[in-house]
Amino acid sequence: MLKKFFAALALFIVAIMFYDIASNYQERQQLSGVAQYYVEKGPSELGAANLVTSVVVTYRGLDTLGEVTVLFISAAGIGLLLRRQRDDKDPSPQKDNAPCSEIVDTAFHLLFPMILLFGIYIFVNGHLTPGGGFQGGAVIASGMMLYLLAKPNNTFNLQLLKKIESFSGSAYVLIGALGLFLAGGFLDNRVLSLGEFGSLFSAGLIPVIYVLIGLKVGAELSSVLTKFRDS
Amino acid sequence: MFQDLLNTPLSTVVLITGFILVLIGLWGMLMHKNIIRIIVGFTLMDTGIHMVMVAIGYLTGGKAPIIEGANKNIVYVDPVPSALVLTSIVIGLGITAIMLSYAIQIHKAKKSLSIDDCAEMKW
Amino acid sequence: MVNSLTNPLNIIIITLLSSFLLPLIYQKSEQRAVNLFFAVLAAFVVISLSGYLQLLSGLPTIEVLTAGIEPPFSINLRFGIEEAFVTLAINVAALLGAWYLLPHLKTNAPLMLLFLIWIMGMNGMVMTRDLFNLFIFVEITAISTFVLIGFNRHNETLSAGFKYILAGSLASSFLLLGTMLLYFQTGTLNIDDLVAHQSLLTGPIGTAGLVLIMTAILIELKPYPANGWGLDVYQAAPTGVSALISVGVSASYLFALYKLLPLFDTLLPLIAIAGGLTFVMSNFMGLKQNQATRLLGYSSVGQVGLLVMALALLSQTNQADHYLLIAGGLFINHFLAKAGLFWLAGLAAEKDIKHWSHLKQHPVIFVLFVVLLAALAGLPPFPAFWAKWALVHTLVESQHYIWVGCILLGSLLEAVYLFRWYGYAKSKTNETAIVCQARQTFPIKLMVALLLLCGHAMAINFGLQPERVLLPVYAALAMLLLHKQPSYTKALVTLLITGIFTLQVLPTLTGLSWIFGMIFLVGSWVLTIGSLYKGTEQRPSYYPLLVMLILSLGSLLLATTTLEFFLAWEFMTVSSYLMVSLGKNAEKSSLQYLAFSLAGAFFILAGFALAYSETHSMQLSSFAQLAEHTVMIITLLLFGFLIKLGGLGVHVWLPGVYTDTDDDFTAIMSSIVSKAGLFGLFAVGIHITTQFNDIEALMFVLGWFGLVMALAGALMAVFQEDVKKLLAYSSVGQMGYIITGFALTSHMGWVASMYLAVNHVLYKGLIFLAIAGVLYRTNTRLMYKMGGLIKNMPISFVSVMIGIIAISGVPPLLGFGGKWMMYNALVEKGWYLQTAMAFFASAVAFLYLFRLIHTVFLGQQKTEHADIKEAPITLLIPQVFIMVIILAFSMFPHVLIEPLSTAISPYIASTITWTGHLLETKQGYWNGFMVMNVVAGIFLVPLFILWMLSKVTNIQPVKQFNIVFAAERPESPETTHYAYNFYAFYEKALGFLVKPNAIHFWDASAEWAHSFGAALRRFYTGNGQTYMAIILMYLGIIYLSMRAI
Repeated sequence: MLKKFFAALALFIVAIMFYDIASNYQERQQLSGVAQYYVEKGPSELGAANLVTSVVVTYRGLDTLGEVTVLFISAAGIGLLLRRQRDDKDPSPQKDNAPCSEIVDTAFHLLFPMILLFGIYIFVNGHLTPGGGFQGGAVIASGMMLYLLAKPNNTFNLQLLKKIESFSGSAYVLIGALGLFLAGGFLDNRVLSLGEFGSLFSAGLIPVIYVLIGLKVGAELSSVLTKFRDS
Repeated sequence: MFQDLLNTPLSTVVLITGFILVLIGLWGMLMHKNIIRIIVGFTLMDTGIHMVMVAIGYLTGGKAPIIEGANKNIVYVDPVPSALVLTSIVIGLGITAIMLSYAIQIHKAKKSLSIDDCAEMKW
Repeated sequence: MVNSLTNPLNIIIITLLSSFLLPLIYQKSEQRAVNLFFAVLAAFVVISLSGYLQLLSGLPTIEVLTAGIEPPFSINLRFGIEEAFVTLAINVAALLGAWYLLPHLKTNAPLMLLFLIWIMGMNGMVMTRDLFNLFIFVEITAISTFVLIGFNRHNETLSAGFKYILAGSLASSFLLLGTMLLYFQTGTLNIDDLVAHQSLLTGPIGTAGLVLIMTAILIELKPYPANGWGLDVYQAAPTGVSALISVGVSASYLFALYKLLPLFDTLLPLIAIAGGLTFVMSNFMGLKQNQATRLLGYSSVGQVGLLVMALALLSQTNQADHYLLIAGGLFINHFLAKAGLFWLAGLAAEKDIKHWSHLKQHPVIFVLFVVLLAALAGLPPFPAFWAKWALVHTLVESQHYIWVGCILLGSLLEAVYLFRWYGYAKSKTNETAIVCQARQTFPIKLMVALLLLCGHAMAINFGLQPERVLLPVYAALAMLLLHKQPSYTKALVTLLITGIFTLQVLPTLTGLSWIFGMIFLVGSWVLTIGSLYKGTEQRPSYYPLLVMLILSLGSLLLATTTLEFFLAWEFMTVSSYLMVSLGKNAEKSSLQYLAFSLAGAFFILAGFALAYSETHSMQLSSFAQLAEHTVMIITLLLFGFLIKLGGLGVHVWLPGVYTDTDDDFTAIMSSIVSKAGLFGLFAVGIHITTQFNDIEALMFVLGWFGLVMALAGALMAVFQEDVKKLLAYSSVGQMGYIITGFALTSHMGWVASMYLAVNHVLYKGLIFLAIAGVLYRTNTRLMYKMGGLIKNMPISFVSVMIGIIAISGVPPLLGFGGKWMMYNALVEKGWYLQTAMAFFASAVAFLYLFRLIHTVFLGQQKTEHADIKEAPITLLIPQVFIMVIILAFSMFPHVLIEPLSTAISPYIASTITWTGHLLETKQGYWNGFMVMNVVAGIFLVPLFILWMLSKVTNIQPVKQFNIVFAAERPESPETTHYAYNFYAFYEKALGFLVKPNAIHFWDASAEWAHSFGAALRRFYTGNGQTYMAIILMYLGIIYLSMRAI
């Protein structure tokens, strides 16, 4: 009881802090320093219409690389934590899951290709429209989720996923490193020409990077889903 | 009074909602014994923070920061918090996944999901 | 430059590239993956090392821009000299840690890649200059830590890991929220840009943002009381992982705090409080801890707290020049020592520190263990010693006295619990052996080597010649190489080394230093000969430590600055402590000795620092310029020196130490080492002669203190059965006179004091050596179990007899001169009441001295002692030598007094004059030569007559068993011995004076400290939710206090 009271008191103080912040909050009337620069210079500097994408992939590209790393180590960590014990009685994942309902099965056949296509569309057009590699990857993974639900006894080719992860991850780093030699610095997208503003093949390396991120995220999330299902 | 409330900018509403969500999440983390519920609490708190982040970047009447032309008069919302929130979501996902795999292992090892059963070390 | 291979950005590129590929390579060939893994870690070291060297040679700081766009619009990394140093440390520890963890790591490709990314995350936290990017690296580090803690999936690691995740995710949420609030206020995320826009960070939102960020980083640094989860992790995680959490992860958070400090201007006092509180409290709690890894956890938390506190305080005082030296020294010391100890704890594979005695079977590991403990405790020559010296000086200068108190108290507690651990390792043998290969000890050895190297570098940094001031340590380490040789060889090498050293040092000394040189160096050389009688024992560490002790006493004499003095003092303390700990069952008493000695040393440190703040000079001679703080400084120094002398009230360490140490070492301890305190008094005293008026009241108190000590020591000695305890208390009494002599601050007083000191060296050395022989033959320390040994051990008898005559101060031996001068000096000063007291004390002293010779050597002999032999010849040689000196000094006192007088007269004008053998003072005269002849005549004539009588009458010796008990057999027959409880009748009258009040007081203090530690850790319920609530409360309290301001 004392413990709960203490916790409630702590929460109350945090609430006071939030109250102070909210009651003093005045919405900004104009963009602040950095954002102003991005809006003014961003399109001409990097050639991407979607400013969020320019920020994510180039201006704060190191964050994104770190983000990819976080996802990567989470996937690796889950694999490690959920690995099978050597003396595990049950050598292989259960293969006798009940089959899914007909509705799910039908919907799967109808939706699966569309979901994949939609995911790809999102990451390919990340520099032009809302979306990008992570969003696209997540959409692809949701398709994979549907697959796992519809085919409870199937499993992915984990080898293939691993290869996709490794390939797209290292390609991302290598392409980023190209910027060191061919452009202004690590993760500079201006290795390729910026192209015509607003078209699919524009904004230098941004689409390439987003494709790689999309593949990587899709593969990683799918393997995470499998690992959780099989554990 | 009532009028004031209606005039509250959207971002403030989102901000306050975000804070309330953070508090609810924290409440869940502190008061529920079940590890899964604690994890749910964490995701609520995380989402609350993301809402606060988005609110901070919002300008009333601002458009999504996708540049369509050289029109100087269009007000765009701040692209930076949007970019940051994207990163934070992925990181939150990673942590949640690790927490869940811990929960699975703790359940396997101790046959219990109560946080009180994880107190074998003290002092 | 940017494109070169040693670009720090390459750390990130290489890591990611190789870890993305590692799983594929591992499938093909495990070995190839392991090779790649080590190649990457080695590349980290190369990159940071070459960067460090380049920066050291004066190249400008490396700024890495990403995306080819200038900050603040893109993220930039910085690689300056500080970053290079910290990353180098992290990467070296990572390489060695990976080597240590390899058997685990290579079972799994994900483990290896997690390890790599973990280290990269730490490097990134150090280098990045962007607040949000810092958050990313924090998360990268945190997630890899979570997984690495739990990878073995034991019950405990899972619990600890989950609690860590909860705490870590709260902290990173704070960081994220705080970052966003700062962005809202300033519109930038770049740290330098934020600092430039600091003026915008006001108002509730700015404050809340700063508080959130600061709390987040503090929480990750595990502040008390919000750190229960961290301790669980240290305890449960695999030791290799704990080691890197304690050093690597903490290092990167510390650096993050360091680079954000300019933002936290208004929060600095709170940061300092958080750090100081953690340092002191975790060290209190360490006292109660018996789990090895958790103990190391407490120590880690404490050390990090100290660093946090130092960072905050130093940036408040704007002492930029000391900043790096102090923070760097503390940091690298904690870094190397803690990693080494965690690895060692892993090798020892024993959780409870009470069972660590199996370490003894592995001498190399044992020595590593002791060195690491000493480093952690901040003893010289390790970097923390220098850093603490500078830190205390800087803080005293800026008048942060309370903080200095915290630092010294915490350091003392830490030393106590660390060496309590050593005591357990030293105690009874545990049968289980340590299984380890050289491969596993390699990283630990390297850490120890680096520690010594850093210590050496620090000495150079402080403008000293390391080969001179650190000689005691190096000589001791060199002596360790002889550990397989028989004891004889080691003793002879010791005599050789100390002999050469003496010949080198002694001619360079003059005046009082020369006299102390004779005491310290020649005296200990002679007494060392005595130790040859234990020739058959191995004594692997006795002689190295003896060399260290003697050389440190020598360095003490050579010291001209406070730093050199303190350094030598600490060496002496450590080496004598370790020697004490070698005795059987000496765990408790040696720990007591260490605690008191270190407390004394810290008083001295505080005194020196205060003096420095006034004179801005470390020269001992600059004490002459003291004016403002003289009384305070002298009081502090007095405390320090009196503890070493065994002053009343703090004498409790002394009987235990004298009883439990090896008998030959007790002689050195009592007659030589105790004089170090006296040397300290004089070394300072000679420089403040012009300020004697200022400290008159203090000296008056000291004079009384000395006399009370003389009386109490004598009284306590009277009621002892244990012969070594008797002599120990006798030393307390004798030192009392010496202190009073010093307190007189007159020429005669000082001469008397020094004269008594020299006497004390002679007769205590003599008696202890003689008693060592007796104990060696009889195997008991209880006097009533001895008796009638005069026939078996005539030479020892003569030694003791000469010794006690000399002590008691009756004519004709030299003690008389001492007492005579003392009374003269007291009267001269006008301290009449004190003179009476001195008389009384010396009468009491006679009681116990009589007992010493009567109970041990005279009376009836015990049957079991019938065929005891005389003491070994090696013990007798120094005794005879000392006896000759005593007789010579007694006959020709001017040989001794004249040098003393001339040594002191440069400081205080002389009031005594000599004509031939005649010593004249205002009060009278003394002719030692004549007294000797008269007394010899008085004694020899009756002796001759008695001898004649014994020839003519028929004296029949009575057998022991002529005594008949009246049909009753007592349960413990020896208590019916007439010598048992010899002075029972006096005890009724005077016993109340010798109640062990001081012992009770200190026992109660220790008990209090332990229960305080126990109370402090009530917060640590083991429940993850409680820990979260405490973390939230921590945030709340910081916020509320900022809000109040």
